[in-house]
Amino acid sequence: MDAAGGEQLSLAAVRDALVRLEDSVVFALIERARHPRNAPAYAPAAGGGGGAGWRSLVEFFVREAEALNAKAGHYQKPEDVPFFPQDLPSPLFPTKSSPKVLHPSASLVTVNDAIWKMYFDGLLPLFTVDGDDGSYAETVALDFACLQVLSRRIHIGKYVAEDSNSLMDLLTFKAVEEKVKKRVEKKARTFGQNVTLEDSAGKQQSTAGDSECKLDPTVLSKLYDQWVMPLTKDVEVEYLLRRLG
Amino acid sequence: MAARAIYAPLVCTAALLLAFVVSPSAGLSLDTVREFLTREEDTIVFSLIERARYPLNRPAYDPIHLGDGAGPGRRLNASFAELFIRESEAVQSKAGRYQSLQEIPFFAYRVPFTLAPPYNFTRELYPAAAFVNVNDAIWSMYFNELLPLLAKNGDDGNYAVTVDSDLACLQVLSRRINYGRYVAEVKFRGDQQTYTSLIQAKDRDSLMKLLTSEAQEDVVKRRIEKKATVFGQSITSDGPIKTGVNNSSGTNFKVDPSVVYKLYDQWVIPLTKQVEVEYLLHRLD
Repeated sequence: MDAAGGEQLSLAAVRDALVRLEDSVVFALIERARHPRNAPAYAPAAGGGGGAGWRSLVEFFVREAEALNAKAGHYQKPEDVPFFPQDLPSPLFPTKSSPKVLHPSASLVTVNDAIWKMYFDGLLPLFTVDGDDGSYAETVALDFACLQVLSRRIHIGKYVAEDSNSLMDLLTFKAVEEKVKKRVEKKARTFGQNVTLEDSAGKQQSTAGDSECKLDPTVLSKLYDQWVMPLTKDVEVEYLLRRLG
Repeated sequence: MAARAIYAPLVCTAALLLAFVVSPSAGLSLDTVREFLTREEDTIVFSLIERARYPLNRPAYDPIHLGDGAGPGRRLNASFAELFIRESEAVQSKAGRYQSLQEIPFFAYRVPFTLAPPYNFTRELYPAAAFVNVNDAIWSMYFNELLPLLAKNGDDGNYAVTVDSDLACLQVLSRRINYGRYVAEVKFRGDQQTYTSLIQAKDRDSLMKLLTSEAQEDVVKRRIEKKATVFGQSITSDGPIKTGVNNSSGTNFKVDPSVVYKLYDQWVIPLTKQVEVEYLLHRLD
């Protein structure tokens, strides 16, 4: 999040970021859904990974990719949180420092363990078909993209919690949540549709059967309802507890 | 923009060295090829939309200057983007990414082993022609021509995520364009006699003519332009869907559909055909 001038980050800017991230979440899931489950990518490595300290191909990939990101100066912002924070290398290049809009303890708040578990145990079986096409490296790279965007979205809760007006928003939360669920479902339907030249331009295409959709829209509303929004609230609560403590 | 056949060892797995038998794959047909290319269009539009979220961030592409700023310092020949992409591809290589030959990396690596679980890939391409690619041209086109059209001027300092999204664009463009090898293979198998005589005569022009269908190309261009419009729209939970197409200032676009049309018209389609011709010229080696 960039505070464009001024130290205060408006809730409106945070809201915009959250809405824009919905598109990224939908794109990432659609792309992952292109490949089947590819279970070998998640299986424990034969021979214990040669003592390298990783349990599966996906864990190896994420650790390596995050080490590269860290060297590139990526984990400087409160919403960018690594899944494997231990022993991350320091940035190699000087990075532009962003204004500090949050309490210093914000960097300690992370729900990435829960996100990891949710993604592999809960979400992946819902939107990928059984099967194995051998493209394990592409698959785990796409998984990492999904994990990153979900983590970013959820950890933006730190900014929401910082806003003094957010207490008022809690009262209208139910209505907001319903809106969000409807919107992400609509996005899944729109971005996941099969676009051809035969349909007349401008016609509302969201009426196309969900069976043609690359991504089941109800998966999106479930994702947000059962995991994204509750986890975001966990982040908000944890941030506030640390802030006051 | 010459196509280059890379014979350097990209990945040193035993499977690759054994793959000198071309098995007529039941999987490769004009239909499956078309299906693949069509699905790639969606990926291309998504990745362009994601890149367009960030400003140009030019410093990420300038040669890196190391030093304390007081003296002349030391200038690397590489930019942040190049270093990041090299390292990123190296990690993907270790994870087994370039084994199937469907993807060709921008930088070559010596990977003594891969950590990926083994998989029996069907070798559909003719081995002597399988490494044909135009990655140099794609790299140059992407940074020099496309990026300035795609991203707004500005610098937000977020170079890691920016270059990460550049890599996603480069990977899908490379995969799509170098898929010309599979297109050429299917076409060759469909009419071996005609192609063989043209290849033996090294008749590039006639091959190009044979591979070109302007009607088909027109359909592809118009379809991806439409996809850019559909996927780039702003969606609210209520109310009509804003496409931004009628917006005179054009600032509502997540990605400008005319840029996507131009991408295919000027670069993707011509480069793919270049790959097809180059592949065919090696098909009888």
